[in-house]
Amino acid sequence: MTTREDPDRLEAFLARIDRGERIEADDWMPDDYRQQLIRLIAMHAVSEIMGALPEKEWVPKAPTLYRKLAIMAKVQDEIGHGQLLMRVAEDLVAPLGKTREDLLDDLFSGRLKFHNVFHMPAPTWADAGIIAWLVDGAAIITQGMSLSSSYAPYVRALQRIVEEEGFHIQHGESICMALAEGSASQRHSLQAALERWWPALMMFFGPNEADHPSSHQKANLRYRIRTKTNEELRQRFLTKYVPRIRSLGLVPPDPTLHYDAEQGRWIYQQPDWEWFRRIINGQGPASSARLTLKRLTYEEGRWARAALAQGR
Amino acid sequence: MDGERLTFDVYEVFAQTDPLGPHQHQFSLLASSPEMAMALAQENFLRRREIYSIWVVRRDQIVKSGPKERERFYRLKKSYRLTEDYRYLADKWRRYRQAPMTPETMV
Amino acid sequence: MADAQSAVSEEKAQAALQELLWQLADDDLLVGFRASEWLGLGVHIEEDIAFASIAQDEVGHAQRYYGLLEGLGLGRADDLAHLRPPESRRNSVLLEWPNGEGQYFEAPRYDWAFTLVRHHLYDVFEIIRLEGLVHSHYSPLAETAAAILGEKAYHRDHQELWIDRLWRQGGEARQRVEAALALAAGLAGDLAETDPWTDLWESSGWWPGARAARDRWHQAVTEFWARYGVTVPPWGCPGNGRAGRHTPHLAQALAVLSEVYRQDPTAGW
Repeated sequence: MTTREDPDRLEAFLARIDRGERIEADDWMPDDYRQQLIRLIAMHAVSEIMGALPEKEWVPKAPTLYRKLAIMAKVQDEIGHGQLLMRVAEDLVAPLGKTREDLLDDLFSGRLKFHNVFHMPAPTWADAGIIAWLVDGAAIITQGMSLSSSYAPYVRALQRIVEEEGFHIQHGESICMALAEGSASQRHSLQAALERWWPALMMFFGPNEADHPSSHQKANLRYRIRTKTNEELRQRFLTKYVPRIRSLGLVPPDPTLHYDAEQGRWIYQQPDWEWFRRIINGQGPASSARLTLKRLTYEEGRWARAALAQGR
Repeated sequence: MDGERLTFDVYEVFAQTDPLGPHQHQFSLLASSPEMAMALAQENFLRRREIYSIWVVRRDQIVKSGPKERERFYRLKKSYRLTEDYRYLADKWRRYRQAPMTPETMV
Repeated sequence: MADAQSAVSEEKAQAALQELLWQLADDDLLVGFRASEWLGLGVHIEEDIAFASIAQDEVGHAQRYYGLLEGLGLGRADDLAHLRPPESRRNSVLLEWPNGEGQYFEAPRYDWAFTLVRHHLYDVFEIIRLEGLVHSHYSPLAETAAAILGEKAYHRDHQELWIDRLWRQGGEARQRVEAALALAAGLAGDLAETDPWTDLWESSGWWPGARAARDRWHQAVTEFWARYGVTVPPWGCPGNGRAGRHTPHLAQALAVLSEVYRQDPTAGW
């Protein structure tokens, strides 16, 4: 943590954090705290916006009228989460003279990354089910942790988000159960989707940095922006979901996966972390297609956005 | 009594009692400036509560839904947006010998 | 003889009711489908979310109408929505027309002005149609129409607010609105086409007001655009959706929206 700020002010700020006080957008904050928040919340915001795309592919194709309505509502919520988080991020970058447009330009230029899980292809309807059940299931664990974050505007956004995620997971459970209880071909497609998403789910929380935490992770823990490590979150996910996945007759594609009672933790095969790094740098299987789609439609809508902005 | 009629502005008062809760409308008061409205708000409406944040907004700066807009709020019930449509899942999970997920256990 | 005649007219009346319901259901399914294609790609994040609700409203309305057809014993609502071939669809050509060039998966260049103008033409017509249908002698339809009508004013007002903003912006925005109106008018000729069912709809009481609907719609649309000094271009249509004559865009839309269901219509999804 390097800062050029007045050490007394910084100390008083850290004392507020330690007392469990919440920080507001108009409170004094060290530059480093602001930068860590921007990094985290802007990334979270664009991840929600980009995260709408893989499921959106299945909106018009959802099998029944009911599923069409439900997945439309679900994807709409995700964009809504993007909106909430964007507003929080916008208020953080405003003192730096930046706006929503700058954040989106950062996304398109690759400076602002979106979550690794949304670089993956979703080639079947079963993928839409697995995303809603397990990817959202993983997301809610991270977001649940962040409810104790020190930054009050982020927490207020997350409270709304977490409430809706509860519905999303049930929407996903419902799709997956229908497929699990369906025809052989439906069951097969569900198992295939699980296998496709498993490495992404194992990478979801990021590498285990317990032995050599990154400077970002250290700063985030110090500022109580986050309160748990990547590995703690991943263990929590496995505890919640592996038994449920197996109970539906599905098999996670990891023969080593088991709970070690002595160590009190799940043993699992490490995903390819080199691949993880390539993915977050925009080299995942669907990275470029999704970014191109978003950028193209964003540019196509510029004339309408200009009319909207100038109608003030 | 002579002199001109006195005019004040109406200010609507909103307050947040919990850092993580919403600003809730309290009531309105008459004041001559935003600063005066802010100075009067707490003692008028929030004497008995701990306050985290107060907003005062001059009423004529609020865009309000009128009778026509209120009619536009009509929506058909969309149960697919609610978890009540998925209550049947609880029974299913019990059949799979798993506890149903609740919003509390999900996080 | 009298019995035979009344049986024939009863049969005709039933056919007229079904025809009306097909038009209602297919219109809302297609306009909802086109609106849903914008999801995630909207011109402004807050607008994306609001328009997603309009898309849901329309598909929800279609679901209710297919439900009425299911109630008449014509098959399961999902089969009716997903499996009927293009030539048996009764939606207006206006509503099957794509939002712009390019498919969703391959560089969509959707035109927000066309989407708004098209939806507005439909909203204005739909409100007139529903105002008649709330008096339908077929009470399930009257009840459904009354429930749906309440959501439509918001749709119309939303599109009007946007069209107004784009128009006042001038320049490219206004040009796009004018071009969109020309395109939409050239597609919407079948939207208010009530023949050959007009007399039966009126006499059987399925749709009181059917006869006057087209004129009322033309008048409302003319008045709206007159506010901007615009004369609505001539109405036309490359087909007639009410008679099952569609453009290839409908087949494309149906292929997408039934892709998964068709894999196994008997399965639970």
